[in-house]
Amino acid sequence: MENYIIEMLHITKEFPGIIANDDITLQLKKGEIHALLGENGAGKSTLMSVLFGLHQAEKGDIKKNGEVVRVNNPKDANNLGIGMVHQHFKLVEIFTVLENIVLGVEPSKVGFLQKKEAREKVIQLSKKYGLHVDPDAIVEKISVGMQQRVEILKMLYRENDILIFDEPTAVLTPQEIDELMDIMRGFAKEGKSILFITHKLNEIMSVADRCTVLRKGKCIGTVEIKDTTKEELSRMMVGRDVNFVVEKLKERVGDVVLQVNNVTVPSKVSKKDAVKDISFEVRAGEIVCLAGIEGNGQSELISAITGLEKMSKGKVALCGKDITKAPIRVRTKAGISHIPEDRHKHGLVLDYSLEDNMVLQRYWQPEFHRAGFIKRQAVRSYADGLIKQYDVRSSQGALTITREMSGGNQQKAIIAREIDKDHKLLIAVQPTRGLDVGAIEFIHKQLVATRDAGKAVLLMSLELDEVMEVSDRILVMYEGEIVGELNPKEITVQELGLYMSGAKRNMEKEKSYAE
Amino acid sequence: MQNNQVSPKFKDKITGITKSKAISTFTAALLAIALGLIFGFIVMIVAKPENSWYGFTTMLFGGFRRLGDVFYYATPILMTGLSVGFAFKMGLFNIGASGQYTMGLFFALYAGFMWELPTGIHWIVCILAGMVGGMIWGFIPGICKALFNVNEVITSIMFNYIGMYLVDMWVQDNATIYISSKTRTAYLPASAQIPSLGVTNSNVNFSIIIAITLAVILYIVLNKTTFGYELRATGFNKHASKYAGMNDKRNTILTMLIAGAFAGLGGAFAILAPSTIAGSSMTYEPINVIAANGFNGIAVALLGSSNPIGIIFSAIFISHIQRGGTIVSSLFGYKPEIIDVVIAVIIYFSAFAMLMNSNIARMVRKRRLAKEESGSVNSNRKQNRKGA
Amino acid sequence: MKKIVALILALTLAGMMLTGCGTKNTTFQIALITDKGNIDDKSFNQGSWEGVVAFCEENDIKDYQYIKPEDASDTGYLAAIDNAVTAGAKVIVTPGFLFEVPVYEAQTKYPDVKFILLDGAPHTADYAYETKSNVASIMYAEEQSGYLAGYAAVKDGYTKLGFMGGMAVPAVVAFGYGYLQGAEAAAAELGLADGSVAVTYHYTGDFAETDTNKATAKTMYQEGTQVIFACGGSVGKSVMSAASEANGKVIGVDVDQRYDSETVITSATKGLGASVKTVLESIYKTDSWDTYAGKTTYFNASNAGVGLPTVVIGDDKADAFGRFNSFDKAAYDAVYATLADGSVSLVRTLTVADPNGIATADELTTGLNLKKIAITTR
Repeated sequence: MENYIIEMLHITKEFPGIIANDDITLQLKKGEIHALLGENGAGKSTLMSVLFGLHQAEKGDIKKNGEVVRVNNPKDANNLGIGMVHQHFKLVEIFTVLENIVLGVEPSKVGFLQKKEAREKVIQLSKKYGLHVDPDAIVEKISVGMQQRVEILKMLYRENDILIFDEPTAVLTPQEIDELMDIMRGFAKEGKSILFITHKLNEIMSVADRCTVLRKGKCIGTVEIKDTTKEELSRMMVGRDVNFVVEKLKERVGDVVLQVNNVTVPSKVSKKDAVKDISFEVRAGEIVCLAGIEGNGQSELISAITGLEKMSKGKVALCGKDITKAPIRVRTKAGISHIPEDRHKHGLVLDYSLEDNMVLQRYWQPEFHRAGFIKRQAVRSYADGLIKQYDVRSSQGALTITREMSGGNQQKAIIAREIDKDHKLLIAVQPTRGLDVGAIEFIHKQLVATRDAGKAVLLMSLELDEVMEVSDRILVMYEGEIVGELNPKEITVQELGLYMSGAKRNMEKEKSYAE
Repeated sequence: MQNNQVSPKFKDKITGITKSKAISTFTAALLAIALGLIFGFIVMIVAKPENSWYGFTTMLFGGFRRLGDVFYYATPILMTGLSVGFAFKMGLFNIGASGQYTMGLFFALYAGFMWELPTGIHWIVCILAGMVGGMIWGFIPGICKALFNVNEVITSIMFNYIGMYLVDMWVQDNATIYISSKTRTAYLPASAQIPSLGVTNSNVNFSIIIAITLAVILYIVLNKTTFGYELRATGFNKHASKYAGMNDKRNTILTMLIAGAFAGLGGAFAILAPSTIAGSSMTYEPINVIAANGFNGIAVALLGSSNPIGIIFSAIFISHIQRGGTIVSSLFGYKPEIIDVVIAVIIYFSAFAMLMNSNIARMVRKRRLAKEESGSVNSNRKQNRKGA
Repeated sequence: MKKIVALILALTLAGMMLTGCGTKNTTFQIALITDKGNIDDKSFNQGSWEGVVAFCEENDIKDYQYIKPEDASDTGYLAAIDNAVTAGAKVIVTPGFLFEVPVYEAQTKYPDVKFILLDGAPHTADYAYETKSNVASIMYAEEQSGYLAGYAAVKDGYTKLGFMGGMAVPAVVAFGYGYLQGAEAAAAELGLADGSVAVTYHYTGDFAETDTNKATAKTMYQEGTQVIFACGGSVGKSVMSAASEANGKVIGVDVDQRYDSETVITSATKGLGASVKTVLESIYKTDSWDTYAGKTTYFNASNAGVGLPTVVIGDDKADAFGRFNSFDKAAYDAVYATLADGSVSLVRTLTVADPNGIATADELTTGLNLKKIAITTR
């Protein structure tokens, strides 16, 4: 009999209409790092919510040290020693690090906060585990990596010994990811048990002892990492073989399509400029990737190019035509296609049908209306064509309300629309965010196909794998400036990470390559 | 054999219809109304238990005895309902329908008294004048919103007051229009009155036909034209419409202009209604009160889900309940004020339940669809979470 | 949520069962149609309704009701009358001149129903007057009411009076003449010297609340006028706001206007409630409907048809004469008696040269035989 610290046995959790968890069993040994792998929506978060007391399962038991326990709310979970680092941090932004850590379990004497005691404990913990934080810093002013460390310290402060990490690496630089892996190993060595939720196979391979794979709410199996491979895991996760390598021919670079000269964009949140005097160009037949950690001005730069925001200085030209001050419609007509960063905010009118969304960028074209009256038939057949060509799946075809579609299919619809539209430049902003492996594969193929068709592609991505795999040229942005122009074939992920974190900047050497 | 082939097809069709959006919105509206009625009934029981059941049924069905009046009183709130609902489709909250209504009313009055035109043309001109009045009063908040990004709620509330005081002032200053000894306007010339539909004891007139026609046209504009496509897109998602290069400013101004026109027409229809008494007419009293019909338009629009066709029905329904209510207050010994409360409870509970309901209906539909969508467990779970 | 729904359903069902066996219809024989305002408007609606209530309570009549029109228009009022008749009303009270046209229509339409039209006479939209035998048109002896107000003001020590009428229509003229005669009488009783009471007499030319009217009132106050009898609908509002700014006093009209402004010391009212009650009694008790039927009847002091307010609505203990300096109920009762017993008779109309009916100061002085009072017209 194995010694399991936490067991979730035959957990079934239904939401009206769907079964989010169907007879799932997950057993966590003391002192192990156990990965929970699955695509978006496979049921990982629901399962963890059940364990953390946010939801109650209809069927199944939770056992701690072999005894059945009830977890009705996060407080119960905490009493059982279960702690969780959420994907989106649950911190009070205007409080200090220390205040956040002690929040809810403040040591007090007759109502007075005993800060000194708490501070000592926090400092001691952070030294012990190498979790460097400044206890007096205000949370909103510290880096994402440090915020995560605060979350971890919160768990430790509460003396939890079962630690759940929900997609912890999504927001970190490669260096920070490595650090986090070390910290996790340290915890395991100490006898703490770790549940590590992710869909990134590399991380699992490097840190986990065992891995449980979920797919569509069902438990596919639990494997020992040392006995398995990345390919095997991905097959379990997706249900078929996945090609990780983006196959592409060597680029055939043509004329300059997008010319950006000395563009400066003011920031919306602070008085500083979000984009500082940036110049670059994108040529036909190449994929240029804007890399960088979130919030270093990439979004603002893209918005300036697409016309969503105004720039304060500089010029943007498309195929030699100045579009600096052009309205969005003019840019669209001039040949810019734009896969927006936030598909719900910008990319789709969620309450519109799929067909109406398919013509969002071209309903005004003569083929889709007669004297202002929309030609429904033309729209329908056009949408049907795209749906077929790009395999956009939905329950009612062209008439499905897009809000009811899955994220992957929503994104496919946008990509179909933007690629099919007559364009010279495709701007794709985080086109694979939040999508599963299958969808990512599809989108990468489309980007490469667009480039091979002789269009210019400007890709903005936060995913390092994507940056390295898809692009022909990388522009690294740090604090509103381009700090490096890199060739993905010549650099390592670690090196890229150094540029992204601002530790290294070398434009001149790399620039020679581009010329 | 053939039968076997036909029936599944037919079944598909039936299920297709029941699943369509219109049907579930309609169901939602019925549910909302049912809820409103229950609460209304409870108020009646509390107020006067012994008569409540007959009173309540009379309230529900009494309107059928006075169909002419049901349509007559439905006309202005149908117009203000369209005004509010149309702007709402674009994501604008036109709370200024009252001001536009009053402005339309004055313009119509002015044209009625001051311009001498042949019978048969005069009333049409008066209606158009009313429309222009409303348009002007919608246009200004529209401009403020589009060019200076001033919230339309604030401007249109202010314009309710400005419009009302201006009109009251203009009316009182005009000796032809105003009879100060009676503190109200004089009787409009017959040529300025909208032709009656000839229902005995009712003022119901041609304007209800115009109003319904306009609602249908509005429905077509919203759903069949590129302009409507842009408006609804903007209403659903401002950011996406900007992303798609739609001219937000132009559309905002146009929307407020049209919304104002509708409310203005409502005012014109109200004041130009014919009278069953020879030589008499509707009159306006400049007593510094903001027109209630403008605010009732909000309830009408809510209950009609801002859908022009829905608004036709909700306006008629509200008018129907009010007419029934009048009968109740005279026949069943309820104080008129209690009946006012009951009507308000029914209308507003229905309207608010409608708001809730359409969300619930959307969720139910989503879940049902979820089962059908292949490999859609994922997306649904996400949506459920969003819904919760 | 489910529980709440279930509870509501249960309640509703219970309610249906409790109420299902109730009466089917209530009819009523006396109905009052309210005008544009509410039943508690402290004005025509409320005044007349109190008469209906008082009569019905005294005579143990249970089936009376007021009806609120759906629409403040002639047809809206007529429809309300229709409703009342449908509900079985035999007597319908219509407070105010706004009902003149609707009652004209209704008197033909419902010959078996009796109408009591207060402060108005039935006519067509084109002002063709006709009062049928099922209508009692009730008017009020405004000159008596004005007399009481003028008397009270001078008795109370005011010597600089003002009058702001709307237009020179009969009711307003009568109020004004009565006011002057009352002031004269009080001055004579007090033994004041000739010409020692100054009255500024003014017709505004409208019945509206305007800045001009307010400015006029304010000027009058600044010139020394202590109290203005505001006699012209919404003119009163202008005068009241001028009074509160210039620290003057106001005498209200038609109904007790003390509730509109602190500046109102008293009001020359019409005895709405009393007149309604009297006419109802003629129908139900004394069988003398013919006294009022088919014509216009003026109510006066002898049948409580006019007066100054003697009670404060909603406050039994308050003194309705509390805003006077010294004039009190006893003094009021004394002067009222002289009107009621007919020992004082008043001039209601004068023949004047002006086509609009606006009398000059001389015409007033001679016509009303004024000695103590010096009149200035504006």
